[in-house]
Amino acid sequence: MNEYIVNIFNVTIIISILRYMTPILLSSIGGLMSDISGVLNIGLEGLMLIGAFFAIMSNALTESWIIGILVAVIVCVVVSMTMGYCSMKLKVDILVAGFAVNVLGSGITILLMKKILNVTGNYLPNNLNNIPTINLPIIKNIYLLDQLFNGHSLMVWVSVIAIILCFIILYYTPYGIHIRATGENPEATEANGISVTFMRYTALMWAGAFCGLAGAYLSTGITSMFVRDMTGGMGFLSLAVVFFANKNPKLILVGSIFFGLISTVSTLIQITPDSKIPSQFIEVIPYIGTIMSLLVVAIRKKYKSKLRFN
Amino acid sequence: MAFKALYIDSISTWFDIGIILNKSIPIIIIGSAMCLVFQTSLFSLGAEGQLYVGAFFGSLAAIYINNIPVTLHIIVVFSTATISAALYGNIGGVLKIKWGVNEVVSTLMLNYIAILITSYFVNNIFKDPSTKGYSQMAYINKNLLIDKITPSNPVHYGIFIAIAVVIITLIILYKTKFGYELRLVGNNEVFAHYGGISKKKVIFWTSLLSGAFCGMAGIVEILGIHGTYKDNFSAGVGFDGIIVAILAKNNPINVLIIGLLYAYIQHGSQMVQLYSDVPREIAVIIKVILIVLASSKGINIRFRLKRKLQVERE
Repeated sequence: MNEYIVNIFNVTIIISILRYMTPILLSSIGGLMSDISGVLNIGLEGLMLIGAFFAIMSNALTESWIIGILVAVIVCVVVSMTMGYCSMKLKVDILVAGFAVNVLGSGITILLMKKILNVTGNYLPNNLNNIPTINLPIIKNIYLLDQLFNGHSLMVWVSVIAIILCFIILYYTPYGIHIRATGENPEATEANGISVTFMRYTALMWAGAFCGLAGAYLSTGITSMFVRDMTGGMGFLSLAVVFFANKNPKLILVGSIFFGLISTVSTLIQITPDSKIPSQFIEVIPYIGTIMSLLVVAIRKKYKSKLRFN
Repeated sequence: MAFKALYIDSISTWFDIGIILNKSIPIIIIGSAMCLVFQTSLFSLGAEGQLYVGAFFGSLAAIYINNIPVTLHIIVVFSTATISAALYGNIGGVLKIKWGVNEVVSTLMLNYIAILITSYFVNNIFKDPSTKGYSQMAYINKNLLIDKITPSNPVHYGIFIAIAVVIITLIILYKTKFGYELRLVGNNEVFAHYGGISKKKVIFWTSLLSGAFCGMAGIVEILGIHGTYKDNFSAGVGFDGIIVAILAKNNPINVLIIGLLYAYIQHGSQMVQLYSDVPREIAVIIKVILIVLASSKGINIRFRLKRKLQVERE
């Protein structure tokens, strides 16, 4: 038991929490934006996969990480907009549309991998230009800060800035008020001359953009490869974070840190030498954690509503 | 060439048709189970996990219970499979009833939990030591397996189970009081509430029933095709069932037809991969387009409006 504890409690844990939390944080911001506008996007997993694939493909072609990220974001926005079109124009249930995006994401990446890149299973390009890491020279000499905050991928900082920006947009701009109103009461919003459809399209655009960023980070930031179904349920964890947050951006950060912690602990237990805990039990931790966190949120909500009625 | 393989080669022989029928069995069973759930307007995605749980406990009962008559043994195997899967399927329902946990995420997570935990047990505790590389249990006694209908064709008697499940779901949905309550809760929750129907009770029993059917699909797949419990034996059949239920607009009769068509597309896509350089994931594109078109309410309305306008003009 001792070696687990030694492995778990040191500085590396904070670093790896930051790294594991990034994709979850980015995609759950996307999920939050669409959830706030009243369309629950369960296609985060598929969007992330598509983003990861297009990021690495365009990155390997052009050897530029900026183009990689851009292509990933654009493709994800297009997919997300199509989802919006299906939901709002063709009146497909948004849950069904999200489910379809998940099915599509898994299938189309495998299809394109075989057709365009002529590989099956995993794609490991050797001319990849990874998303750069950021080193701040100011804190270079302070040991702890250097250890903690230097050497992270750019995307880690982007995700932190994104959640702050998201908070500001939602609560301090007219656009944020409109989007919240759209989710709270679509009829009243429409009556005030704001197009609900347009607001929902923009919300889905955010979802696509952030999932694209998360996907790009997965394939060209934290790793430099694409494996079939490489998100492995991460999109669903983000979805759980969205539920957990209950339309509150601050809780998105808390939830992402929580899931970052869970992923870190399970990875650390896995790489501890002579680990006696079977790998399946470790892999199952995030999923049980998700259900537990959903349960906690639901109980809290129920308790609150009870208080209100009394 | 690819299209010929996809649409024509895949039903050119009786053998191919047998394979298609076999593939459609679990899809049809799960599809009709999902009809029940979707008609209650629960969007539960837990079929895959329930299938694994049912197959796992059913196989355990088949392998480790001995010295009882075969007929009794078959009954025991099927009831263990259905009851265990029903209880597992009920977790999502109970979470929803008691605390209002959203069923989409909870059932998805329960899938992963079921797959991983059964994988642990089949790899470590119940593994057949004689098969070195494969993680599977010992082979189930031949008497218990579901026979082929004719020796020359792969199709097995499970197809009748599938048809029976469709008929049972039809009866439950449209000929019983419970089915009426179920549909009412799905269509108009408020009206159902004022009519004195307990939504909680309906969700409880629906999740139990659909879980039981999913477990049935799992054990039929094990006894009919695989012969024993294998790790990761189902490649997403649970999700195929969900897709079929969506395409069928939650009607069990449509499930029967669309389940067959769906199995045909899947078999076709495998043939495509064999005979041309098109990967079988091409079927995914077809599936997604089908889902969107089938579940779209907008397209229908437009079509009807056009027709109405035409009639008025005339």
